[in-house]
Amino acid sequence: MKDQLLPFIVETARSIAEEQGIDVSKELNDSTRLFGEGGLLDSLALVSLVIAVEQGIEERFGVRVEIADDKALSQKNSPYRTIGSLAAYAAQELEAKKAAG
Amino acid sequence: MHIDFLRERFAAARDKDALIWRDQSVTYGWLLEELDRLSASLEAAGVKTGAVVSVEADFSPRAVALLLALIERNAILVPLTSSVEEKKPEFREIAEVESVVEIRSDDSLHAWNTGTTASHPLLVGLKQSQSPGLILFSSGSTGKSKAALHDIVPMLEKFKVPRQTLRTITFLLFDHIGGFNTLMYNLSNSGCVITVADRRPDTICRAIEQHKVQLLPTSPTFVNLLLVSEAYRQFDLSSLQTVTYGTEVMPESTLRRFHALFPNIKLQQTYGLSEVGIMRSKSKSSDSLWVKVGGEGFETRIVEGLLEIKAKSAMLGYLNAPSPFTDDGWFKTGDAVEVDGEYIKILGRKSELINVGGEKVYPAEVESTLQLMDGVEDVAVRGEPNPITGHVVFARVKLSTDEDLPAFRKRMHEFCKDKLARFKIPQKIELVEKAMHGERFKKMRRGD
Repeated sequence: MKDQLLPFIVETARSIAEEQGIDVSKELNDSTRLFGEGGLLDSLALVSLVIAVEQGIEERFGVRVEIADDKALSQKNSPYRTIGSLAAYAAQELEAKKAAG
Repeated sequence: MHIDFLRERFAAARDKDALIWRDQSVTYGWLLEELDRLSASLEAAGVKTGAVVSVEADFSPRAVALLLALIERNAILVPLTSSVEEKKPEFREIAEVESVVEIRSDDSLHAWNTGTTASHPLLVGLKQSQSPGLILFSSGSTGKSKAALHDIVPMLEKFKVPRQTLRTITFLLFDHIGGFNTLMYNLSNSGCVITVADRRPDTICRAIEQHKVQLLPTSPTFVNLLLVSEAYRQFDLSSLQTVTYGTEVMPESTLRRFHALFPNIKLQQTYGLSEVGIMRSKSKSSDSLWVKVGGEGFETRIVEGLLEIKAKSAMLGYLNAPSPFTDDGWFKTGDAVEVDGEYIKILGRKSELINVGGEKVYPAEVESTLQLMDGVEDVAVRGEPNPITGHVVFARVKLSTDEDLPAFRKRMHEFCKDKLARFKIPQKIELVEKAMHGERFKKMRRGD
């Protein structure tokens, strides 16, 4: 599932950064730092990305997932560290929601 | 007794048109006669003087005569129009309605007593003072409907001063403080009230052309719909002298566009609330949101950036909620304002202020900017909780283009980057199909 989400998240991160005037000349991938030290995005862009990912998942899979809630913020390792960690967290939440029916 | 001054003015303008309903006019002479006929009918139907009476009717000449006949009998009026059909039983109970008077769609009158005896202390007190009353329900768009009880006598006081005679569309009905005010203004000044079957832009424009309307009191939402629909292109609106707007914050972009299209129409902001009545107001100019408010019987002050009003015509209280007044009688409007000398500018409801990571955003400013974009028909902005920044700016947008969300988001950022601070640009967008206003043409930011 994570692999399925990764290209979509890369693409969304790129367009949000571009829209908000953030330099994205480098290639974005699994290990790109998103937020925090050396991160691509600031909090406004991060919030936009997370919401766009939630909306994109709902559109593609018909399932509402929350990837910006207290649970996400209280993870031992922040899901917003890298594009890969965000994709993994989103995939995990999507699987859980699907399993719960 | 309380409407003797109206009877005198009606008699002096006997042959003039008082109301236009379904494109037919009735005169002030007719209204006087109908007032006497209805007084007799109410007496015969056993509607007691001073009773709490629900008036269940739409805006027809008979309904207007009925309101006046009831005021003359010191009744406490509870106007209920068909727009609140499903809530009528609940509203009758809250208002402790003692008699129902209904005008059906065939214009026939039906009256009966409910068997209730009003016992609310505010109602009992008003009855003892032998004053007619008015109960208005808030729309409940931000929670449950509150019932505001007014003494009609101080409300009527300001209409004793003669003012301009105008032909006016009643955009709001008499179950709303604005509609009641428009009606009483016109009746007091021998003006003509033009009623409309619905409030679509083309219906309103047709009525303006056909009945040479001079004054259109409306809401910013309607002004925007009028611009978007371009209905004004098919009709002659040259009779129109003044458009007044109130009930919500006017987007500056909408005001400017309307003024550019109709430079000869005066745009005038109004400010009123069902709790305190309608203040007199004066806009700095047609394309300015700066406005002076007040007038006889009103005091205003600003406390911590929020407008407070003390009014002689203030309501006596809510029937179903605690008193919102301070101990010394000030009403906290909850509207945040900027001040410049005698003028104020209304920024929006404090409760609608969005706090994005410590930065403050008023929905109206964001809406005003987004409405300047091509293809944006309507937009409603509100805050949504988000643990990352506390809240995010959430815009629901109705588009006339077939863009998808990522395409619109991209265009929006491009458009807004030199117009709005970055934190004000919506972080969340949803594209919607349906209109985002309620029955009273006020933007519904809370709706789904």
